[in-house]
Amino acid sequence: MVVVTTERVKPRRLPGVEGIWVFIGADSVIFAILFLTFMQDRAKDPALFEASRHTLNLNLGGIDTLILLTSSWSVALAIQALKRDLIDQVPRYLFGGALTGLMFVVSKSTEYFQKFAHGLTPGTNPFYMWYFTLTGIHLVHVVLGTSLLTFLWIRSRRGAYSSSHREVPESVASFWHLVDLLWIVLFPLLYLMKAA
Amino acid sequence: MATHAEPGTAAPASDWSPYPTDYTSWKVMAWMGPVFLLAFFCLWGLLARNISPFPAWAEPQAVWDHYKNLRLPIMIGMSVCLTLTACYMVWSVAVSRVMERIEGAGGLWSKMEMLGGTITCAPIMTACAIWLTAAHEIDNITPGMAHTLYWFGWLLIDLAYFVTSWQIAGASIVFMRDKREKKLVPNIVGWWGWITILSFFVVSAIPFVYTGPLAFNGVISFWIAFFTWFFWIPGLSYFIIKAIPRLQAEDAAAGRTNDS
Amino acid sequence: MSVWRERVTWVWLGLVVLTCVTTWGLSKDLFRPAVAVVGIFLIAAVKVRYVMLDFMELRNAPIPVRAVFEAWPFVVAAVILGFWFATPTIA
Repeated sequence: MVVVTTERVKPRRLPGVEGIWVFIGADSVIFAILFLTFMQDRAKDPALFEASRHTLNLNLGGIDTLILLTSSWSVALAIQALKRDLIDQVPRYLFGGALTGLMFVVSKSTEYFQKFAHGLTPGTNPFYMWYFTLTGIHLVHVVLGTSLLTFLWIRSRRGAYSSSHREVPESVASFWHLVDLLWIVLFPLLYLMKAA
Repeated sequence: MATHAEPGTAAPASDWSPYPTDYTSWKVMAWMGPVFLLAFFCLWGLLARNISPFPAWAEPQAVWDHYKNLRLPIMIGMSVCLTLTACYMVWSVAVSRVMERIEGAGGLWSKMEMLGGTITCAPIMTACAIWLTAAHEIDNITPGMAHTLYWFGWLLIDLAYFVTSWQIAGASIVFMRDKREKKLVPNIVGWWGWITILSFFVVSAIPFVYTGPLAFNGVISFWIAFFTWFFWIPGLSYFIIKAIPRLQAEDAAAGRTNDS
Repeated sequence: MSVWRERVTWVWLGLVVLTCVTTWGLSKDLFRPAVAVVGIFLIAAVKVRYVMLDFMELRNAPIPVRAVFEAWPFVVAAVILGFWFATPTIA
């Protein structure tokens, strides 16, 4: 007799510390509200927004997206290694995540300084207010995430984490992926959205 | 000269115990959280027309007209709100005592939460008094003065956020450390507290912007910053009110109540 | 653990390709604005979905949570596109 079971081998669970998904969810909703409000303001002066958009560096923005995607990939690999107790492999992937996070910070800072050098500041016009505010708040998330990844990297080298002790790395990883996905929307919203 | 207490002479730990406890007062105090929120929302928010606020970019004459036209509702809203803001202080004492049951009597974060909640009342009350004065004295002041008082209130009520941040942080930290199988306050509330704290920081931009999301009436500095806090208060209050009978039952089981 | 056999690696490669398509393909002037914008944001929504399901491991999350999060990119894209189409054309 063959017994066929349709039960999942592993029960469904949310990774990370209990309740962190409320944080991630709330952050996502807040950004969604910001995207909506940006579009509302854009509708009041689409010509101005389009003209200002042209001063943004698409190539740099695209590269930033690739950097963050790679960073997320690295962190995801770290979690996969952790789940399989490949403890000695974990640090290198966390380091990769932190390093690429730092690259994003440097890239974004350079972009800001270029803007300032051209006399473009948050006060220049509503588009720039939104550009600096949205990317600025996102950048704070990147800095926070990179710091947390660095902390995790240091701790992982001392073997602090394992498949049975992975809520903290999972929590940081989930946050980091949020940072990545927010940029996936932010980049086209600010840099690529051409006017009709 | 002795520089430390000899062993056995320091007050025993039980002298610092939070037992016995007046559970009825504790419950009344816990309800002051929702009372504050209702008062603040209805009086400051609706009656005095701060949801949503008169814009940051308004010119002095427009501000003067606003206070002149809405003089009576603003006076009623601001005066009663000023008085009832004290409920927030009362509530923070109730929260603090629940925290002490986790952190230990006289815990640092428990004290921080109580102080943070109490001091938070100061900028709120003062800002309400400033706006009350603007309305009360509208016929005696110039549009420039009306504009000044309007900004004075907003800068004060907004920029003091960091006091409240420490209150919320204390609550989040301690409640997340609760070792009970079913925590007195679930992690969700703690994490919402962190969202609230983080949403406050951008408010520091308000002196420098008059339009857009960061202005004091903007989507980030007003709608997100205030409403995350507005949801935190009743969210935490619900579990604090529920925690008190739970703690009473724990005390009864351990023989720590007033009757024993 | 062979990195190239991991699901997350294939997802990453797909995301990289989609990024190049939108950044250096659809954004070019040879596409009408409406086509470009709809394409870019639909692709963005798909990218977010894969980050959620495979990087954030929501594939294995409780169904209600997964459903809410999976809806986010599409609701956001729909709202953004809705505003875009409702915004007047520039001269």
